Amino acid sequence: MSGGTVVAKAVAKADPGAHASGDARATRSVRAGAFAGSLLTTLALFAGCVSAPPPDLRSGAGTRGPTAMGVAANGGTTAADRRVPTISERERVLFDYRAGATSLRLGEFEDAKARFDDAIVRIGGIITNDADAKKARSLFSAESTKTFIGEPYERVMAYYYRGILYWRDGQPDNARACFRSGQVIDSDPEQKNYDADYVLLDYLDGLASVKLEADGSDAFARAQSRIGDNAALPPYDPAANVLVFAEYGYGPRKYAGGEHGQQLRFYVDDSPTRSARLVLDNGERLVPLPAYDDLGFQATTRGGRVMDHILGNKAVFKTSADVAGDVALAGAVIANDQARRREQRGKDGDDANIAAVGLGLLGIIGKIASAATETQADTRQWDNLPQRLSFAALKLPPGEHRGRLEFLDREGNVLERRTQPVTISVAAGDRDTVVFLSELKR
Amino acid sequence: MNNTSRFLLAGLAAGSALLAGCATTAGVQNPSGVPVTEMRPDERGFVAGTGIESQDLVSVTDRMARSILSIPQIARAQVPPSVVLDPVVNNTRFPINKDIFLTRIRTQLNSKAMGQVSFLDREMMKTLERERELKRSGQVTASADPNVVEFGGADYFLTGKLDGMTTRTSQGTSDYVLYSFRLTDARTSRIVWEDVAEIKKQGLEDAAYR
Repeated sequence: MSGGTVVAKAVAKADPGAHASGDARATRSVRAGAFAGSLLTTLALFAGCVSAPPPDLRSGAGTRGPTAMGVAANGGTTAADRRVPTISERERVLFDYRAGATSLRLGEFEDAKARFDDAIVRIGGIITNDADAKKARSLFSAESTKTFIGEPYERVMAYYYRGILYWRDGQPDNARACFRSGQVIDSDPEQKNYDADYVLLDYLDGLASVKLEADGSDAFARAQSRIGDNAALPPYDPAANVLVFAEYGYGPRKYAGGEHGQQLRFYVDDSPTRSARLVLDNGERLVPLPAYDDLGFQATTRGGRVMDHILGNKAVFKTSADVAGDVALAGAVIANDQARRREQRGKDGDDANIAAVGLGLLGIIGKIASAATETQADTRQWDNLPQRLSFAALKLPPGEHRGRLEFLDREGNVLERRTQPVTISVAAGDRDTVVFLSELKR
Repeated sequence: MNNTSRFLLAGLAAGSALLAGCATTAGVQNPSGVPVTEMRPDERGFVAGTGIESQDLVSVTDRMARSILSIPQIARAQVPPSVVLDPVVNNTRFPINKDIFLTRIRTQLNSKAMGQVSFLDREMMKTLERERELKRSGQVTASADPNVVEFGGADYFLTGKLDGMTTRTSQGTSDYVLYSFRLTDARTSRIVWEDVAEIKKQGLEDAAYR
């Protein structure tokens, strides 16, 4: 490197005849030194880029946070701990969402309540000064490093499901609170036409009010305005004692779009199931269950997020750093060539060599910075959501009512293979019987 | 300008271009969010609010308990009036444990009222009736005649209502909650006491969640 150059100059002064060969050796020495320096710098930079593998949500390996009960006193884990996966705080809400929906579908209502309560504690607050969120906004960390709370349609569904469970427990006012929170979460999107536009949330808000002997007409009018003139919502029947919540189809899927994956996008695989109906008491009762809300529509109509702007900036940086790296590396090649030409003409090429090394380093740093910039949108998702939501309120005498749930296609034909047997047990008393029906198994 | 200077200048320009893109939150207001702040209800905030928390419960129930004790129907009653608690109605957007408000008011009154007021346990009615039937049928012993009705009737009903108002904009979320409680005379249906407490909160979440 520079030491090598000094040595070569000293040799040249002592022996003028050896000038040409000595200079060539010196140039080679400079190049070798520059190469070695660049290599070391690159290695050092790459060494800093090594990061821990992402935690495995399924196995729980390498995660922190709540663990199973019964941790051994010596800090080791019991056999039970090894069987029950631990969930990282960052993924906890996502785990709660999925497990809550599964429990609800399996009829494990206490577990579903616990899951959704746990999630709502985290998504119901206002997250500020959060280290993970700050990291997610930084250049060299992915958005998925933030604690997951989900996109608005996912948060709305947590409240929606919890509302159903509150109603089942005879607390229509708390159920209504959940439906109202859901609608607030869906408010103020970038596209104002789609502000708080869940039909069912307003409709159920009004029905709960009617059940509480309050006025539900405003909420009903809002729900009717959201569904439009094409369909008429059934008027509230305060005497209805069975509330049927139905869902069908598979919910939206997230994926990362854009040149650097910086755009959060949604894919909706439109389900063949367009509506459903409940056939009870040997066909004596036919309860239509039309789709009032479509989660695919809700996911795709909110417009951009503030985080999209941040990811967009990251993408610009990634591109700029890459281009700057290209320019610097090209400059290094030119400087190196200049140095070679000067040396061939017998002139001093040291300055150009130093510039070539400097530009080369800058180029490498630019390339590394570009490669290390994490622009990917967070595509973690609540992947067992339905596509369409439906509801019906009916009046049934106490006792057991058997029947079937039929799913219908666009033309109104029954999708026979999807038909499910249904038994509704209506309890005597004031409390509403809440029935939850899903096309999804888990 | 010699070659070295030119090359270094080019390098500097490339480095500057590289660093210029580092500001990922450029153009984003309050990227770290604004912490939730509690405000007076009459104070004008920059946005509107958030949920019902333990400190709200404590401050509201303390205030209500003090207020109830000061009314003449309680303070000057010859015989401690019997009060029945009726569940609070939640009209806000926040699901809550509805019993907790009245439970805390009751415990505050029981601890501070020094016998000025007594509460009837209607939550236990089914259990109490079953016990009375066991006594009447002679299946268990009784220290008094079980055929005499001794279950107390209410002089007053204490209940409450939570109403809320929410605003959500790109500047944040704001929630105003009005806590109102009232004591109703069981004989005349007159409201003999009513008081309210108001809490407004607002905040803006981290840009990563907006």
